[in-house]
Amino acid sequence: MIQVENVTKKYGQRMAVDRLNFTVNRGEILGFLGPNGAGKSTTMNIITGYLSATEGSVKLDGHDILEEPQAVKKQIGYMPELPPLYMDMTVRDYLSFVCDIKGVPRSRRKDSMEKSMEMLKISDVRGRLIKNLSKGYKQRVGIAQALMGTPPVLILDEPTIGLDPQQIIETRNLIRDLGREHTIILSSHILPEVQAVCSRVLIINRGKIVASDTPQNLSRGMTADNRLSIRVAGAEAEALAVARRVPQVVRAESVGSREHGTIDIMVEARKDQDVRRDVFTAFAKADLPLLQMKSMDLTLEEIFLNLITEEREVS
Amino acid sequence: MLAVFRRELRAYFASPIGFVFVGFFILIAGVFFAISNLLSGNPSFTGVLSSLTFIFLFLVPILTMRLISEETRQKTDQLLITSPLSITGIVLGKYLAAVGVFVITLLITVLFPVIMSFFSLLGLGWWEILGGYIGFLLLGCAFISIGLFFSSLTDNQLIAATMTFAALLLIWILDFVAQAVPTDPVLGLVFLALIGAGLVALVFFSTRNNAVAFVTFVLAAAIVVLLFVFSRSLFTGLIAKILSWFSLVKRYGDFGLGILSLSPIVYYISFSGAFVFLTIRMIEKRRWV
Repeated sequence: MIQVENVTKKYGQRMAVDRLNFTVNRGEILGFLGPNGAGKSTTMNIITGYLSATEGSVKLDGHDILEEPQAVKKQIGYMPELPPLYMDMTVRDYLSFVCDIKGVPRSRRKDSMEKSMEMLKISDVRGRLIKNLSKGYKQRVGIAQALMGTPPVLILDEPTIGLDPQQIIETRNLIRDLGREHTIILSSHILPEVQAVCSRVLIINRGKIVASDTPQNLSRGMTADNRLSIRVAGAEAEALAVARRVPQVVRAESVGSREHGTIDIMVEARKDQDVRRDVFTAFAKADLPLLQMKSMDLTLEEIFLNLITEEREVS
Repeated sequence: MLAVFRRELRAYFASPIGFVFVGFFILIAGVFFAISNLLSGNPSFTGVLSSLTFIFLFLVPILTMRLISEETRQKTDQLLITSPLSITGIVLGKYLAAVGVFVITLLITVLFPVIMSFFSLLGLGWWEILGGYIGFLLLGCAFISIGLFFSSLTDNQLIAATMTFAALLLIWILDFVAQAVPTDPVLGLVFLALIGAGLVALVFFSTRNNAVAFVTFVLAAAIVVLLFVFSRSLFTGLIAKILSWFSLVKRYGDFGLGILSLSPIVYYISFSGAFVFLTIRMIEKRRWV
């Protein structure tokens, strides 16, 4: 549905976006993941026609955003990083203005407004001036704005920023629901969010795509079952010595004491070696009770950092 | 365009700016009207209008400063530009809203000649006043277009207002300056060459196309050289001529006398059109930065 081909954006000499290529299929929820300044917002601004790419093209259903801006822009609802709100308007007036500029027919206007205010739970503030709303409400008015006229494509730049935990969960559910009728691109630097919502993830760093896969595959490809975290009742030196004596263990390090009289140790074995049984017997023989043992799965955070550091090492 | 126009007009009166503009304008107009028409029994209301033109210097910057700069600062321009509206529509909507506030103000001042008519004080009658109003309106529109342009250059209202004020002041003293500049033809040539260079630079930076800029350069250079060779007399006092060409105020003279002539009308409308066009170009250019 959306084809991004070879899109490059230069600010002077700095490459903000470097030859991006990807497509988004109908009904997909695509997540952009990357640190601040990775080029997520710039890419979104290019897709929505706010910025022009230095090179490359963006097509929506085969229509180029630069050649047929009117046709393409009608299909997109955009929520930029900072919700584009007029502080001197009430929520109702603002949404009605958005309907106006998006050319939503009068007959559908009321429905569209009511429905999205309902969805985002902002009906109770409809008569209030936007400048008097809290950050969470402003953010939700920003999302409601993107939904006006139910465009087939939604582009949401950090949609849950500034919301409280309860609202974050609600917004994620909302995005998942919207995903049934809309094609969605959203960006985030919060990994669990992308994991919870998206059907596919693009990890972007310094303007380039570093990885592109489903969130499940991304974390599966990188779990580390050779690392264990254990808690031992005993002295640090003794415990470390025992751990290091276990065959296949290449590294054992203390990570400090969390409980009185115990020590937490990180044990790393050779790749693809499951050393849990050996560790257990070794400590049992040494008469040092193991209070806790768990394998250290890589979180998406670590995958993310790994990808980024790997890339740095390569370059 | 209509949606932007309506929103902008409401925004003027949702903040003090609209009221300050209308109120202050009517206050000053009222003072002038009372002193020169009512107290001294002078029947010329168009004279009051032409002595009122100085008020634009102070009020136009206030009227136009936030038009585009505030959108840039609050990032609401992202909403407008990513909507199906054309940039021309957005800019025209904003421009017409500022003109709208000005028109509302002018409509209120129509009360003054109405008061005069009660006392049979109207000199040449309503047609003269209509002519004066048309000129006054068009002059205001030209000034507002300058303010609109400067508002698109910055995201700071105060800077926009200051630049607009400086530009208007410069235009205001243009006639005065034109009297004092040297009339030497060679200096005229240098001045024209500088203008040509500025034009080429403008074309280059707005299109970023070397070929187009080069063609403009060749054309401009050819015209300047040909003119200098074949009609030397044109260059005598050229600087003054060019400066006074930009003088908005001088062209108001006829309207002050109640004369409605075509050339200043065309001039004011094209002047406004040029600045609205430049504003549109400025905003379009931002996407390529």
